[in-house]
Amino acid sequence: MKITIDGKEIEAREGQNILDAALEAGVFIPHLCSHPDLEAKGGCRLCSVEIAGQQGAVPACKTQVQEGMEVTVNGPESSKVRKMAMELILASHPADCTGCPKYGKCELQSMYQYMGVSPEGWRKKSRSVANDDSNPLVSHLFTRCVRCGRCIRACQELRGVKVLDYIKTPAGIRAGIPEGRSLADAGCRFCGACIEVCPTGSIMDQVKIMKEERSYAENVVPCKSTCPAHIDIPRYIRYIKKGDFDKAAAVVREKVPFPETLGSICTHACEEECKRGELNAPVSICRLKRFAAANDSGAWKARVRKEDAAGKKAAVIGAGPAGLTAAYYLAKKGHEVTVFEKNEKAGGQCRYGIPAYRLPDELLDKEINTMLEAGFTLKTGAAPASPRELLGQGYDTVLVSIGTHQGTRLPMEGNDLPGVYVNADFLKHARKGTPLPVGEKVMVLGGGNVAYDCARTAVRLGAKEVHMACLESEEQMTSTPDEIEEGRQEGIILHPAHSFLKIIGTGKAEGVEIQKIDKFYFDENHKAVMELVEGSNQVIAVDNVIFAVGQKPEGTEEMELALAHGPYIQVDENLKTSMEGVFAAGDVVTGTKSVIAAIAAGRKAAQQMDVYLGGDGDISEKLLDEEAPSPYLGQDQGFAGLTRVEPEVRDASLRTKDFSLVEQPMTCQQAQCEASRCLQCDLRLLLHRPKLWNEY
Amino acid sequence: MKQMKADVIVVAAGLSGLAASIAAAENGAQVLVFEKASTTGGAANMGMGPLGVGSRIQREHMISLTPGEAFRKHMYFTHYRVDARMVRDYYFKSGDTIDWLMDMGVEFVGVQRAFSAPEDTRAYSDGEFTWHVCKPEGGGVPGPRAATSMTKKMTEHAVELGVEFLFETPVSKIIMEEGKAVGVLAKGKDGEEIEARASSVIIATGGFGDNPKMIQEETGYEFGKTIFNFAIPGMKGDGLKMAWEAGAGKEPCTMELMYQLPDNMNHFILDGAFRQPCLWVNRNGERFMPEDQIGNTTFTGNAITAQPGSIAFSIFDSKLLRKYKKKGPDIVSHVHPHDLYDHFDEQWERDLADGYEPIAQADTIEELAQKAGIDVEGLKAQVEEYNEMCASGFDEIFEKDRRYMQPIEKAPFYCCRQNVGAYGSLGGVKINHKTQVLTQEAKVIPGLYCVGTDACNIFGDSYPFILSGNTMGFCLNSGRIAGENAAAELDDFEY
Repeated sequence: MKITIDGKEIEAREGQNILDAALEAGVFIPHLCSHPDLEAKGGCRLCSVEIAGQQGAVPACKTQVQEGMEVTVNGPESSKVRKMAMELILASHPADCTGCPKYGKCELQSMYQYMGVSPEGWRKKSRSVANDDSNPLVSHLFTRCVRCGRCIRACQELRGVKVLDYIKTPAGIRAGIPEGRSLADAGCRFCGACIEVCPTGSIMDQVKIMKEERSYAENVVPCKSTCPAHIDIPRYIRYIKKGDFDKAAAVVREKVPFPETLGSICTHACEEECKRGELNAPVSICRLKRFAAANDSGAWKARVRKEDAAGKKAAVIGAGPAGLTAAYYLAKKGHEVTVFEKNEKAGGQCRYGIPAYRLPDELLDKEINTMLEAGFTLKTGAAPASPRELLGQGYDTVLVSIGTHQGTRLPMEGNDLPGVYVNADFLKHARKGTPLPVGEKVMVLGGGNVAYDCARTAVRLGAKEVHMACLESEEQMTSTPDEIEEGRQEGIILHPAHSFLKIIGTGKAEGVEIQKIDKFYFDENHKAVMELVEGSNQVIAVDNVIFAVGQKPEGTEEMELALAHGPYIQVDENLKTSMEGVFAAGDVVTGTKSVIAAIAAGRKAAQQMDVYLGGDGDISEKLLDEEAPSPYLGQDQGFAGLTRVEPEVRDASLRTKDFSLVEQPMTCQQAQCEASRCLQCDLRLLLHRPKLWNEY
Repeated sequence: MKQMKADVIVVAAGLSGLAASIAAAENGAQVLVFEKASTTGGAANMGMGPLGVGSRIQREHMISLTPGEAFRKHMYFTHYRVDARMVRDYYFKSGDTIDWLMDMGVEFVGVQRAFSAPEDTRAYSDGEFTWHVCKPEGGGVPGPRAATSMTKKMTEHAVELGVEFLFETPVSKIIMEEGKAVGVLAKGKDGEEIEARASSVIIATGGFGDNPKMIQEETGYEFGKTIFNFAIPGMKGDGLKMAWEAGAGKEPCTMELMYQLPDNMNHFILDGAFRQPCLWVNRNGERFMPEDQIGNTTFTGNAITAQPGSIAFSIFDSKLLRKYKKKGPDIVSHVHPHDLYDHFDEQWERDLADGYEPIAQADTIEELAQKAGIDVEGLKAQVEEYNEMCASGFDEIFEKDRRYMQPIEKAPFYCCRQNVGAYGSLGGVKINHKTQVLTQEAKVIPGLYCVGTDACNIFGDSYPFILSGNTMGFCLNSGRIAGENAAAELDDFEY
């Protein structure tokens, strides 16, 4: 049907209200209490209009359109009502906006900018309410509340959580939580809908969780933005909660080809940022991924990208997570890809670095075999030619992704005695089933996760007493707290904040002299500075010493590529090396990082190499249909207190006997239970932001 | 990455950015504005109006101040420590800029001054009628935020001229090629990366009032400790950092000082109630300025900053409070509610109960000093001396106006700590009078302009309150100068 607004004819639909019809047609009518996702209430009166043939002003949001209706926005009556409504709002709203974090993004501010209303017409009535910052996620500053009721409608009707309501105070009615309860006690689901719809700065995200370097969307869903591969975490967790494990696996698969591997060993930076962690403990994102991957039927395979042959050849040197990922996506883009791996098996650090008790061979074999279905050639035990030779052999582009497989032996007395090992060799031999001999007592030098891998492997190889010494204090150690705790359970004796002076022994390693560190820091030139405690030297008698103080790439000097910081390959922001057509990605560029970082780098390499080969660089996949999640959450009284479900871990006395998996996958019930702890931070991004006048 | 192109890119859509965009578009440039907020106007949305000298309204009101006179007043106020050519160009343009705004549809209620000096200091510190206060739509007395009607009209005009605004899209970097600014990198709300290129880039981000780290590094003040400035969200110093990164020279930054209470928004009644010419002392209990001057927020801010711990205390007794309640304040502020003493008891009781730290009430001067953290003996001696002077009707120390010589003698006594405040930061990026960005060696960086608060280096050590509306005035005029110059460069390029 047609209606006219201020003489302009616009299209409207049966049953629509005047405000929605006008806004849809691009005609702005001021409004504050109505919101695109909430039912109109007609409370604020800012949308008052006049209708030909009717007396007085009516709220446009509560008036249905009728054929031929003639609407005037700024008639004398409607303007008077609107102006008075705005003045009354401003009369009780703080006059000084300068301390308000919503400044510049405030709908009320935009509205008074549009209306230009003076606040001085009415007696100023301060309605101070003490700020409530007691919740770590949501900040309540109800002094700024204009009683539009949007948060209440969002909480009550849209989400069904029913925490926020109108409350009566001596200073008048405002939004709040009845009976003075805290958000957690009232059953808040922390979905953030109230924050999203609040037109002022009354309900806001706590400032400290909104990091400046991230965009708004990245801040709202920090798990996803923190993940190097940007896996859509809330989406797969929602599927696990619903019991739709296949779809959950497909969501993960859209971004990474090693879901179960990652679910077992990922460093899960996402969990550090999980907002649930501010309430009690983060959602067990990583283990849920493992669960989803383990329960995957492979239905996603029907939807994978498979482009026609493009007639180009690509070579990948090194079949670790970065190289395999790149090969996988390049193959889908129609390129003929060959991966060269000098070891007898593919997998890189996943195969030869990470011990089997964390990542068994069968699991890795399964995932690599699935990847090979994309149609690339894997040549193992193949001594790789140099990038230049490969280009000469007809490959159009080459990726170097050889990782960091050479352990570092610190320059100190006794470092070459028999019985002294380095991390990479020690772990690799253990993994291949040909372990290096281990005596009764072992000392591991280093404090990262790899050091723990060495120490815990030594325990499993029969060492009776395993020590670890590192420069860092326990708080500064780079290994995860889980790793430290599991190591402790397995009897590893930790000497944090100790310097290693020398390895003692005649003919073979017999002990390590260590000394307590008072202070350890990096000076302004990033140089390590150590202050030792006088007289705290001690010798720990051991049969073996294992250096676990970092790894570096092997053989990059012979590749004719420009290097940086020693043996690392130098690349530009598109991962191009100094040689035309040659790219590099993963640890060989960045130094030893994580599997997830290598996978993200592999994806980027595939994109850039595809562009280099004349493709569009688009490797994205839609492995399942888009489904809009339900906006309705419902009530859940104990939600805030739901504790994290920990997977079952084999007892230390048993697990130290062999290399079987330490940690069991979650059961369906555990996984669904854990998934239901997710705050679903992404839901609020689906709400529509009301367009401000300056956007019409 | 999304690619965009324009003639002129403006970084931020506050008052100076709006002025720059309009001026450039009026002169034929295609303009792209990146704004990290969702609205235009920036800090100006809190203000009331800009300075102008020689405008139509001033002529109609027979205000005889000329741009030349304003220029000389300004230069004497700053002791010629600032760029005279920039100051000159600014004042000589400022009247025309008011007319320019009026032609756009901006309405002003008239011309005011922010501050009227007491009679005995009028010769040194009186305010001139330069402040063009924006007219609230539908009339009424203008108050804070009145300038939104101006930013609205400017936004509408910019859109009419074809200026394109990208909201919630902060710029992260100026793209420099061969020593010339050629565009910017920006990031959209959903994380989309944008590379936009243009012949000129105008930086207009409004300083670093909301960046405690920069405040400390650039001015030495500690936010929340020695300074409680307006921290208008978003004023993170983005523009200064970008300009310096691009090779801009550095000018000393200052804070635009005044004074206020911590968390003043939630204690606004007290902020106004204690801003009276009662008894003002420092931490030692000693008076430090004639209290009849405390309406001059710049001088008072300066005076407090010079006291031990950069704090002061405003004290009155029950008798004085009763007088204020009955007859209204001695000094009327244009910022605070006019009926503030009607709400005093309510706010005072609540803040006392909540333990609001800057305030204290006591039945003796000793107890008051102890509670407030003032030297007990010092305050006792001072109150005694002050009350004697009140009795004799003459302030022998500072010659404060005798009307305000009202003793502090009837319990309970009320005390409120006053802290150094500031409107925001001033200056930092070195520019010339065309607002072109200069290197430290005063060489022009082609294609790069900086305007408004980021480049407001002309105030010297203190806000020139004698010519009120100066912050917004400089934003508007420097923005306009940059827009015109950036558009003019396009012509050079074409012909």
